[in-house]
Amino acid sequence: MSVASRESWNTSLFVAEALRLEMARDENVLMLGEDVGRNGGVFGSSRGLLDEFGAMRVRDTPISEMAFTGMGVGLCMSGFRPVVEIMFVDFIGVCLEQVYNAMAKIPYMSGGRVRMPMVIKTAGGCIGSAAQHSQCLWGLFAHLPGMVVVTPSSPYDHRGLMATAVESDDPVIYIEHKALLLKRWRQFHDAEPVPEERFTIPFGQAKVARKGSDLTVVTLSAGVEYALEAADVLAQEGSEIEVIDLRTVVPLDMPTVLNSLAKTGRLLVVDEDYLSFGLSGEIVARAVEALGPSGLRQVARHAVPDVPVPAALSLEQAVVPGPASIAEAVRKMAAAS
Amino acid sequence: MDNERSLARFERLVQMRHFDEACLAGVMSREIHGELHIGIGQEAIGAGMAEALRPGDAVVSTHRNHFHALAKGVSPKALLAEIYEKETGLCQGRGGHMHPFDLSTNFSATGIVGASLPVALGYAYGFKLRGQDHVAVGVTGDGGVLTGGFHESLNMAGAWALPLVVLVENNRWAISVDINEVSATETLAERSHSYGAWGRKIDGTDPDLVAEAFAEAVDHARSGKGPAVLEATCHRFHGHFEGDHDTYRDREEKRRIRKEHDPLVLYRAKLIEAGLADEQTLDRIEQTSKEAMTALLEEVRADSQPDASGALDHRFVGVATV
Repeated sequence: MSVASRESWNTSLFVAEALRLEMARDENVLMLGEDVGRNGGVFGSSRGLLDEFGAMRVRDTPISEMAFTGMGVGLCMSGFRPVVEIMFVDFIGVCLEQVYNAMAKIPYMSGGRVRMPMVIKTAGGCIGSAAQHSQCLWGLFAHLPGMVVVTPSSPYDHRGLMATAVESDDPVIYIEHKALLLKRWRQFHDAEPVPEERFTIPFGQAKVARKGSDLTVVTLSAGVEYALEAADVLAQEGSEIEVIDLRTVVPLDMPTVLNSLAKTGRLLVVDEDYLSFGLSGEIVARAVEALGPSGLRQVARHAVPDVPVPAALSLEQAVVPGPASIAEAVRKMAAAS
Repeated sequence: MDNERSLARFERLVQMRHFDEACLAGVMSREIHGELHIGIGQEAIGAGMAEALRPGDAVVSTHRNHFHALAKGVSPKALLAEIYEKETGLCQGRGGHMHPFDLSTNFSATGIVGASLPVALGYAYGFKLRGQDHVAVGVTGDGGVLTGGFHESLNMAGAWALPLVVLVENNRWAISVDINEVSATETLAERSHSYGAWGRKIDGTDPDLVAEAFAEAVDHARSGKGPAVLEATCHRFHGHFEGDHDTYRDREEKRRIRKEHDPLVLYRAKLIEAGLADEQTLDRIEQTSKEAMTALLEEVRADSQPDASGALDHRFVGVATV
């Protein structure tokens, strides 16, 4: 594959490449889900796998999430490493039972004797699909104990974090963002080359996506792209923000966040998940626990304000964080400081 | 019917009864805290399934799982210790009686009704993928048959001819809800037709009938013909859990069930009538089992509970504490 063609790949193809490398490396890796085979995934993130590995290892399933998620649990207990695709994370409601009562708890309930090397690969995030196809829900999974929660942002991270997820002996929820899956490599803000050979990225290591000294934006997934776009605009206004890409919600890399806060003293959490009882509150709480109640000069949260995502673009833009709203949130903080 | 096999079945019946009586003792003494679901009255199913199961086969059971675990060959000591919440238990006291996991015998269970079947389906898929002639047995009660997981699992098993045996212990009661009032079909086994599966309903209080039908179901699945549904009717002598006042069933009716449908009493009478055993032999088997269980219980009671310092262990394998 030429370099030029890789630049025009969307992120989905890098995910498919990651899966292909894992399946070629380990015959115990298999994939289950709706439309993952013949169709190569509705976002194309398993394209080509059926031809290469056959229908038993790339299994198109009926719309039976409860049963095929539980199948993943049984497969783990018989030595396989299943990647189970829940097409949209919003569909987790019909199979959450097997996710949080079986997959996530069995390692603990078995006294550590049973391992659950399962990956649930699922697409979240807003691309104009309204309330039932736009949620992120990483806060939900992170709240329930026993799951690694991976939220990649760049094509490079999608590749490396998927490799780590498949080789992990812990259960992993790998939440893609639909807008990122459909975005081409060359359209990314700071796209770094993605090697063709296999590589991994450790869980729990956040990345400073942009350096700045005025304010720390902690975000993840598509929020990273939005924050970087906002940063360009803010830089023209004389404000330099630091952008931290969490990469994984569980484990959560607070040292990297605290390191940045030691410099800026100002924290803005940007989260496309719901505002209350979630990731943004958790980051703030942990920062306050670490730095003390007066350890920060400013704190703010920018997230979906506890409302289902609306259909109309005008309404969607009013509630979902994007580059413009992030820049506005930063300006508001600057004005109040 | 040969005499040795009948005596072995009788022995399994009494061992299972004694096992759950040992569990009951722990409820009385409060050594077991939390709810406990015992299977007294349903022993013939566990006793009947033991013979056809091979070491490589998998069994995924329910909240009422003790007999299935014993039938699969799970260590009684490790199982009882887990139920008694001991560090020496199968899961070091982290699982408790509803959540035993034993990779060495491919046995596991879930406390969520109906959730056993998708997991068993995963085992069945894996066996087929590896070309192994093992079968996966998903146990459920009558209540679990009415969950979506039953339909989804059997449909996939039927579509792909997977070696899945769904064993339905129909004790009629989903806590207080009578299956006859909530099932659209007369029998639960007849649902097998929808999935191209083998299906049969039997009297699950006779270990001979269970052994014969279960072996047939297992053979069907093992030979690559796809899934099987075996509905075995039985009677739950106790409430849903210890502490359930069980006021939804008539007291007289419960008395009658215990008197007329006790698998141990029935099988004893059957063996004697058929001239396969005498009272003395059967008494001796009971006595030996009772003594063994008393000794086992004593051993388990002497074991320690897990140290509180380990409450956060086993959360993750490769990820640092978060």
